[in-house]
Amino acid sequence: MTRPLGLSTFVLASPFSDSAAIEAFDRTAAFGYDLIEVCIEDPALVTADALLSNAERTGLAVGICGAFGPDRDLSHPDADVRDRGLTYVRDCIDLAAAVGSPHVAGPMYAPTGQTRLLEKPEREGQLNRAADTLARAAEYGAARGVALAIEPLNRFETDLVNTVEQALDLCDRIGDPSAGLLIDTFHMNIEEKRLGDAVRLAGDRVRHVQVSENDRGTPGSGHVPWDEFFDALDDIDYRGQIVVESFLPTVREIARAVSLWRPVAESMDALAQDGIAFLRERFPRSAS
Amino acid sequence: MFRYTYNTLVYGHEPIEKGIDRLARFGYDGVELIGEPAEMDVSAIRDELQRHGTRASSIISIFTPERDIVSSDPAIRRAAIEYVRGNVDLAADLGADIVTFTPTACMKIAPEADLSDEWAWAVAAAREIARYAAQHGVTIAVEPWNRYETYLITRAARAVEFVQEVGEPNIGVMADTFHMSIEEPDIAQAIRTIGSRLVHVHLADSNRAAPGYGHLDFKPIVQAIADVGYTGWISYELLPAAGDVWGVLSGAGAPEFLDEYTEAAITHTKAIVRELRLS
Repeated sequence: MTRPLGLSTFVLASPFSDSAAIEAFDRTAAFGYDLIEVCIEDPALVTADALLSNAERTGLAVGICGAFGPDRDLSHPDADVRDRGLTYVRDCIDLAAAVGSPHVAGPMYAPTGQTRLLEKPEREGQLNRAADTLARAAEYGAARGVALAIEPLNRFETDLVNTVEQALDLCDRIGDPSAGLLIDTFHMNIEEKRLGDAVRLAGDRVRHVQVSENDRGTPGSGHVPWDEFFDALDDIDYRGQIVVESFLPTVREIARAVSLWRPVAESMDALAQDGIAFLRERFPRSAS
Repeated sequence: MFRYTYNTLVYGHEPIEKGIDRLARFGYDGVELIGEPAEMDVSAIRDELQRHGTRASSIISIFTPERDIVSSDPAIRRAAIEYVRGNVDLAADLGADIVTFTPTACMKIAPEADLSDEWAWAVAAAREIARYAAQHGVTIAVEPWNRYETYLITRAARAVEFVQEVGEPNIGVMADTFHMSIEEPDIAQAIRTIGSRLVHVHLADSNRAAPGYGHLDFKPIVQAIADVGYTGWISYELLPAAGDVWGVLSGAGAPEFLDEYTEAAITHTKAIVRELRLS
């Protein structure tokens, strides 16, 4: 299947758990998505068995995305803390391998919401620590056929990797071809000078795509330059997943970081429905 | 048509006379100043403005945890009101037209008290400040900030409700295109929603750099500003790409925001004004 269209569980249930899976998969399939992106806020609540049985039942593919709060810090000065973060990413990779997700996605280089002002040497140090830990994660993933899709976040959510250019620099430091990028239109709207240019700069390093409107609302309802963005995905011949992401007001792991204080759509159901309708216009189901 | 000014906040620790000189040099009509009355030598600034044949346009209020209009602590709420009144005095002393107002500490992103109480405190404070400002011929501009900087008023429509409830003639809404680029589905439409209540404008591109350095299309935005009958100040609040803006400015600073962006910003808008045949 090319360009499967997906919905993030952040729109449906937070924290996601096995007990929420039946309803989440049913609703995602009923909305007309090809794929559900499962966000692993608490790994203890999610099993491969539950995801696989629901995937089989509904015909949905499964993607795996991480959530990186302060306890999952892959660039922390303390090696033990970094190792705990790495353990979490490896758990996500195991889950991804078990459910057939081509990647684990997320801003895995630092805790989301960390926005200090670093002097250049400190910043270099943190980037290199992130690269070292992620190199170990990438190696672990490569052995299991799972790529890392590393997500730049906007300036208010991280001080380390805000742009595609900075994410490519991090990938170079990681030095493993299985480490690539997740690009998200919400963050790109704030940080990239031209969205199309940023996509083309990322080129074949793009492993995953998330779409969200400039206000985190329904794709197509705001001022993100969608034609420019999708044309650029064509230019780089991107064939991977495109996932609609927003956040329930009840999201816990990264609630302060995403700062979503008001409803951005009439309801999360409306956002999911209108989101897939917008994407299908551009990416119709293949005739076969 | 419009008068142009630039927020000197981004000039950092540079002596203010250098900023005033730069703005005069690049054809600005006014100078936007940060409101720190206790730290400012008002007569020196007035002399400097006079020497360059320019004037103060507007005073930007800085809201901190110690100056929070909706703090759960009544003493802090009082201190915040007194602070803005001080900015009104400063505006009057320097001949500035506008003092900005946002009813939460900057970067405070969750309420401390019941939201309806906070709203009521904010309305009462704004009314008191607006009445005081009216005696000095100063207008209060309510500024929505993006979700990462506040939670109470993030959109134009909410700001319009706010000033309607305050109900004073000299309080209106300001538009800042950086915040709007995050919060509004259609920036030009949001400006039309503000309509005749538009009293101040901050232009910045999608990445908070000078217009033209990001991906916003400023033509419909400038057209909307003209269509609502606005003939006041066009200012530029351009800030470094960081969550900790203060840290950047008090540290190494941001050299591109000096001559380069100062010249680029006014040049960009004036070209659009000419193209749209607004003048």
